[in-house]
Amino acid sequence: MTTTKQAPAKATLTTPSDREIRVERIFNAPRDRVWSAFTDPELVAQWWGRGNKLVIERMEVERGGHWRFVEHSPQGVHGFEGRFREVTPPDRLVYTFEWDGMPGYPIVETTIFEDLGDGRTKIVVTSLFYQTAERDGMMQSGMEGGMNESYAALDRLLERME
Amino acid sequence: MVQYQARLDNAFAALSDPTRRGILLRLGREDASITELAQKFGMTLTGMKKHVTVLEDAGLVTTQKVGRVRTARLGPSKLKDESDWIETYRTMLNERLDRLGDFLERTKEK
Repeated sequence: MTTTKQAPAKATLTTPSDREIRVERIFNAPRDRVWSAFTDPELVAQWWGRGNKLVIERMEVERGGHWRFVEHSPQGVHGFEGRFREVTPPDRLVYTFEWDGMPGYPIVETTIFEDLGDGRTKIVVTSLFYQTAERDGMMQSGMEGGMNESYAALDRLLERME
Repeated sequence: MVQYQARLDNAFAALSDPTRRGILLRLGREDASITELAQKFGMTLTGMKKHVTVLEDAGLVTTQKVGRVRTARLGPSKLKDESDWIETYRTMLNERLDRLGDFLERTKEK
């Protein structure tokens, strides 16, 4: 079977509200494969780290299950974690996402997998950021914000230099 | 604005050196004295002082001398607000999905 070389589908970014990011993307792969890429740790390890080594410390793909990934980039080690809120194969995955470098700023990521019927799959990722009021409450409860914020800002600067 | 630009140039020059990037990452975890940094990076005190001075001039690091010990910590650059975090996150998400696309192409059944 010959495959037609297609340019990678670019993400469509929209901002439904100032605390929400929505990304749509179409992949040249059937929905089951895309679902597996998100939920099978062996497959996740091959792309989630953005080209960096990724250590999957925990990945319990079930409602309430904990996940924790550690990315080893040249600039340092970054931990990400959260809990699965909804696992509905093969079309809906909801989990919380928190970066160690930004404690107290959890995001709820909802990923919808849509079968386009021609061997391709559209995913829509909606990321909901906590409201400022909720976040401020967390920050006031003795979070060590400053240091981590500096670290995060530094990482961004370093990333831009790559 | 001009002053800001000059400082940004200094920051980029300061970050062009891998040792200095390492120093910043180290200070991102905790403050450290020049002596500790010199040991950690296996260089002389004088050499480390030079690196820290470059970082200090760029506004990336501040130092404070208490007694005989000079301690370095990350400078005033901080995330301004939530929008910075959203931007960082957006970049990560897109990079991740780029990689997913590559992965799916690479592992496609022939």
